[in-house]
Amino acid sequence: MSVTDPAPSRCPAVTYSPHEQRPVGEWTAFFDQLRAEAPVVRNTFANGYYVLTRYEDILSAYQDTDTFSTQAVTVMEPDPSYRWIPHMLGGDEHRQWRRQLGPYFSPRAIDGLDDRIRSRAVGLIESFADRGSCDVITDFSFHYPTTIFLELMGLPVGDLDRFMAWEANILHSNGSTPEEIAHNRTTAMAAVYEYFGSVIADRRRRPGDDLVSHAIAFKVDGRPVTDDEVLSYCFFMFMAGLDTVAAALGYSLYHLATHPEDRARIVADPALIPSAIEEILRAYAFTIPARKVTKDIEVAGCPIAAGSMVQLPIKAATRDGSAFASPAEVLIDRKPNNHIAFGAGPHRCLGSHLARHELAIALEEWHKRIPDYRLADDAVITELGRSSGPDTVPVVWAR
Amino acid sequence: MTIDMDKCSGHARCYGTDPDLFQIDDSGYALRPGFEVPAGGEDTAREAAASCPERAITAQ
Ligand code: SF4
Repeated sequence: MSVTDPAPSRCPAVTYSPHEQRPVGEWTAFFDQLRAEAPVVRNTFANGYYVLTRYEDILSAYQDTDTFSTQAVTVMEPDPSYRWIPHMLGGDEHRQWRRQLGPYFSPRAIDGLDDRIRSRAVGLIESFADRGSCDVITDFSFHYPTTIFLELMGLPVGDLDRFMAWEANILHSNGSTPEEIAHNRTTAMAAVYEYFGSVIADRRRRPGDDLVSHAIAFKVDGRPVTDDEVLSYCFFMFMAGLDTVAAALGYSLYHLATHPEDRARIVADPALIPSAIEEILRAYAFTIPARKVTKDIEVAGCPIAAGSMVQLPIKAATRDGSAFASPAEVLIDRKPNNHIAFGAGPHRCLGSHLARHELAIALEEWHKRIPDYRLADDAVITELGRSSGPDTVPVVWAR
Repeated sequence: MTIDMDKCSGHARCYGTDPDLFQIDDSGYALRPGFEVPAGGEDTAREAAASCPERAITAQ
């Protein structure tokens, strides 16, 4: 990091590229360092944007959606041409979608999915358990949420490979030049839109018991939702539910592979798994959401003009010592743990209950079959300075 | 216990800690804005309140 504004400032300027791949843990340490430096910093990278670093300010920003709007949620795109549903909606329109989606994502609804989720986890883990090694990311954590997503959306599991390829091209930097990366991304996005376009047409003719058919029946302001709205909902579900669970699972198994004492505790007492997951979500929080400021404001003495993009890095909040005792330590039985790894406020992650169950079931079934494992000797694990997970988590165990 | 229903965003962490006391609706949001904690349940109630990410729950 280079401080380019040495004059006393209430929001010092910094310059860093979030696209940089760094060894696992370094980005987290970097955000810890930003917090120590100032409550608000301005990254001069690209169009420039602000970064809030303290728990209190970040929580308040998530709760004040009138000021910190989701009309733009990527710092690089302050004026997006798309409107993911329901995430990028605001006010009452957002509330109406959330109210209708809520019953399908509530704790009770998710309880009812556990058997299907469990059989996916078991099938995958058993496919490599005898091998004595695997890459948690490519062999397990990418496939797992993707198959569950396909089932919930009522799509054939045979389409898994296509989805995985689209996912890689859209959410990861796939290609050797910036042009190639951008091209792969645009092509894959168009393919996903086309795919869901025909799924929606099909469900209009033959509705089933799936999340696409349910959404088609929704109403907003008393009128039926349009195909375009359902399409941008399908696309958002695709973006939101796959990589995030994969990343969280990657960090969970990374942590447990490198902390045998924690692993031994959950193997001996699987009832600890839910609280271990909450703690890993807190300590390894990885999403770095952004909001667009709708009016001139001041945060911790730093003036921010209307129209600016502001990042609200969750890891900056959940590792803030003024909100959590020993924030850098992973205490798998931490209680209470009111972390905001799933965000806060009205846009709080709709899929959080599903994600928790997917993670808990994965760790239960994994440790039943593979209780003792460690990182491969030559493991080099890196991550990006934007929402993503570890690129690889190679682990080995005795057969 | 009182719950600020405007702040509640359906994390259901309160329910996760004490499902009898902190009831939730079909969408996972707090169902009751206020209630008495039965004798003996104070500790779990306090822990449930402290696990709310929105800080929507106040114990009186
Ligand atoms: S934990 Fe807080 S936000 Fe979540 S349901 Fe309970 S009161 Fe609402």
